Amino acid sequence: MNLSYRIYHVFFRNLMSYKRFILTTFLVSLVQPLFYLITFGVGMGAYMGAFGGKPYLYFLVPGVLISSVMMSSTFECLYGTFVKIVHEHLYDSLIATPVSAEDAVAGDIAWASFRGLVSGILMLAVAGLMGILPVSVLSVLVLLLVMLAVGIMFASLGMIVTSKAPNFDFFSYYTELVITPMLFFSGVFFPLSNFPGWMKTLSQFLPLTHAVAISRAAFSGEYPPSILLNIAVVVGLGALAFVVGIRMMKKRLIK
Amino acid sequence: MSTIVSARGLTKKYGDFTAVDGIDFEIQEGECFGFLGPNGAGKTTTVRMIHCVSPVTAGTLTVDGSAAGVDNRALKKKTGVIPQEITLDIDLTVYENLLVFARFFDIPKREAKARIAELLKFVELETRRDSKIDQLSTGMKRRLLVARALLNKPRIIIADEPTTGLDPQARHLIWQRLRQLKAQGVTLILTTQYMEEAQQLCDRLVVMHQGKILKAGDPRGLIESEIGKDVVEIRMPPDRDEELLARLGPLACGHERVGDTLYFYCRDGIGLWKALVDLDLPNTVHRPATLEDVFLKLTGRSLIE
Repeated sequence: MNLSYRIYHVFFRNLMSYKRFILTTFLVSLVQPLFYLITFGVGMGAYMGAFGGKPYLYFLVPGVLISSVMMSSTFECLYGTFVKIVHEHLYDSLIATPVSAEDAVAGDIAWASFRGLVSGILMLAVAGLMGILPVSVLSVLVLLLVMLAVGIMFASLGMIVTSKAPNFDFFSYYTELVITPMLFFSGVFFPLSNFPGWMKTLSQFLPLTHAVAISRAAFSGEYPPSILLNIAVVVGLGALAFVVGIRMMKKRLIK
Repeated sequence: MSTIVSARGLTKKYGDFTAVDGIDFEIQEGECFGFLGPNGAGKTTTVRMIHCVSPVTAGTLTVDGSAAGVDNRALKKKTGVIPQEITLDIDLTVYENLLVFARFFDIPKREAKARIAELLKFVELETRRDSKIDQLSTGMKRRLLVARALLNKPRIIIADEPTTGLDPQARHLIWQRLRQLKAQGVTLILTTQYMEEAQQLCDRLVVMHQGKILKAGDPRGLIESEIGKDVVEIRMPPDRDEELLARLGPLACGHERVGDTLYFYCRDGIGLWKALVDLDLPNTVHRPATLEDVFLKLTGRSLIE
């Protein structure tokens, strides 16, 4: 791994180009989770009564929050990175400078997780306005860390997909067959305890399940013992995907 | 003068395909060295190895005293690349493109700002400082690529077909600038398919074809040894070839029939030209030999795709 501080130069480039799209992406990052909160939280929540002693929204917010982190960081490393490689040839000019291929890819992963973090923070603000707040300031800080880690994990997973993508259509397999179903099997909208056995088993293999569990614990300040497994999965899979994603992208970039 | 780039048995393979096939060359500091060849000759692959973005499959390649390799940041720091494709950052303005690139080379901000002002002037783009990339003409984009390649004050500049798709004005401006850089002592490595460009810029060059070097030398010397001084072209169907060859053949040092044209290559074309005037043929041309004649003779006249 030929990584250096130049990751920040790549991050800076993305930040500079971002100011042209900042308003659009802010709005987009907000609208989708808002739909979930309003339709599921307010609409369905009215029929669901109390969830472990609190309104349904308390259950829903930590899950939707972390799925918006997943969505933003994933899409940035799929479409965003693909455009930079194939359409803008940005990576070609990057690797001709002292910035290595590893720096360039890691810089984009850092950027994508930053985008995830921004989406998550926006969600947190909206939830706060609706009166749904994490239990303490410490909880907020832990949540920020969780969002960052989850962002790095999904950004890196996205890089693995992008390293093999011949065109945009290829991404539909991943988004439609992996990301979207994951939303429904990871305990974002309903507690996993109500799922049949096979679904419970399946959900344990989905990274989002573990991310949601950590988020929910941080939100409520109550950490069950199973949290250790959740943390191990997010950190372990994140680190693995980071290394593999960079290696595979390097193979695509250096020929 | 000392050697700045040297290659021995340099080879590049992509799977079973050999793009560069064991070539040897040496580039001297401060000269302009050209790689000429048709599409797919291996020129770009060769310069990509020199500027350390493509790994060497076999052989040795030394650039400024150290081995070229993908992770060699030190070499990339002293090299400037004018790429074949327009790889500008379309999300950024002209100025931002240069500013971001200066960071990639760790140039401090204050120094970068001064350098950018200087370079925008050098490529005559001062008035387009805040334009977006898609508002620029192809010529302006190419000039911006030249400016970008100079940010780090490179000792070696690699120009990979730098004037493709340009109008004559823009092309001549780029040539001017490249010659100016050479005069400042920069080593210039050029790939091109334009023979005029090679003749205008190169001190020495190699003609590449199918991954191999066919000939090496200086442009004038190559023309004289491969073709001669003059070329006479007679545009007519081949039915009178025998008669023409019998009368004109002894006056030339070589001939070639291609499609509707019979070519005679001569050390001194005056004698042949006089004989031709006596024959009173329509459609004849007498002209000095060029690098293009050398190129076509060495790489063949059939289409290469």
